[in-house]
Amino acid sequence: MSAMLAAEPGAATLDAAAAAMATALAQVTVEVRSGPRGPGRRGAAGAPVGAGVVWHPDGLILTNAHVARGDVSVVLGDGRARPARLVARDPERDLAALVVEASGLPAAPIGESCALRVGEVVLAVGNPFGLARALSAGLVHAVDGRVIQADLRLAPGNSGGPLADARGRVVGLNAMIVGGLAIAVPSEVARAFIMDQLRAREGRRG
Amino acid sequence: MDALLSLSNDLAAAVEQTAPSILAVHARHRLPSTGIHWRPGIVVTAEHTVRAEDGITVTAADGRSLPATLAGRDRGTDLAVLRVPDLGTPAATLGDDSTLRVGYMVLALGHGPRASWGVISALGPRWRTWRGGDVDRLIRLDLVMYPGFSGGPLVDASGRVVGLNTSGLARESRLAVPATTVARVTDDLLRQGHVSRGYLGLGMQTVGLPEPLRARLGLPGEMGLIVVTVQAGGPAERAGILLGDVLVALDDAPVAELEDVQARLGSDRIGTTVTALVIRAGARVEARITVGEQPRRRT
Repeated sequence: MSAMLAAEPGAATLDAAAAAMATALAQVTVEVRSGPRGPGRRGAAGAPVGAGVVWHPDGLILTNAHVARGDVSVVLGDGRARPARLVARDPERDLAALVVEASGLPAAPIGESCALRVGEVVLAVGNPFGLARALSAGLVHAVDGRVIQADLRLAPGNSGGPLADARGRVVGLNAMIVGGLAIAVPSEVARAFIMDQLRAREGRRG
Repeated sequence: MDALLSLSNDLAAAVEQTAPSILAVHARHRLPSTGIHWRPGIVVTAEHTVRAEDGITVTAADGRSLPATLAGRDRGTDLAVLRVPDLGTPAATLGDDSTLRVGYMVLALGHGPRASWGVISALGPRWRTWRGGDVDRLIRLDLVMYPGFSGGPLVDASGRVVGLNTSGLARESRLAVPATTVARVTDDLLRQGHVSRGYLGLGMQTVGLPEPLRARLGLPGEMGLIVVTVQAGGPAERAGILLGDVLVALDDAPVAELEDVQARLGSDRIGTTVTALVIRAGARVEARITVGEQPRRRT
């Protein structure tokens, strides 16, 4: 009964709704690995260092700059491992863009981080302590424009993973833990980061 | 509607409903604490965060900075009451803490507003704090108390303030002083500047009762309290209690620690009579003591 409900978005019970959200979020979350490529590891290299969000079906993945270092590869939501190319990195905003050879990936629905209200429920998915795609639930602690502060328990493997609102839309990328609070880069900042990269590319072409 | 979204909207609405009645209280160095606009012109906060008695200011939810005067403080319950006459913002919507149940979802709010989410992890009957205050109900919380959250409201899922959160009453766990206690202590502090407590006018120490004596006199407990000082003219002396008497029960309830005595001397007992069972010269003696009001300690 609950398994059936869990498959439906917009479920009527709280546990079913949260379970449906966790499933949907896990599909758009990748595990980011870093380190030298070992023999016979079929593209998945190194140790897990964090998480990432599938931003575009054609293989664009966003993560934190502090996660995307060295040789990077990703494990997609369906379990496939892919080497990744680091195409942009901005330590200031703690954002990085990765590209993997893939198409038709389930991309994350992006929400409006500027519309977040204090007290809204937020969910995080990542790989804390190496647990692939573990869910944390909490709420928006404070809104200050630059970052999202969430009352939510994170661990280092959450870095780069999605912070989603109660509709399942990604409103930020988890980046830091400060005084027990989760600090996320707002989706608006991530959007601006991608626009900047596109503009720079066009500038170089023109 | 989606249950998760509906919960999210309820919690955000509860924050929005409470936020106008939350203030930052500047009564210590650096880190301001949180205050609740309890009723028009009256702000309550956690007593342990009030280090200065003069020059206290508050920042209202609308950003205005206003001077506040300390109307009274009660270390026992960790509550301080401030008067802020020109506070234009609305007072809090108060709820009934007696309807709380273990597992209820609650919010702890700090000035800003900032929010922390959790559940009521335990409830208990009336208890006495380590600082000697009477709290009408034990409310233990499973949530994170962030810096500056002491003095802030505990808010239920419908946006009602059911308590005041503080980290000053227990080292390890997060507690809330129930709204009932906040209201009672606020009334006391506004009326007389301090909280009334009953007292007997005795100084006592715990002593063990020898087994033969217990058996002979049919005493329930293994311990009693030996009287080491008797205040001249105090309630106990007037009732005939003597130095060296061993108090073993008050109103038939065994007493082994000072806390047991204090627990029976709330402000509601002032003026009433308690029956003290004491051992004097190896015999049971009963004395009827009219509970007095504790003289205010000079600070």
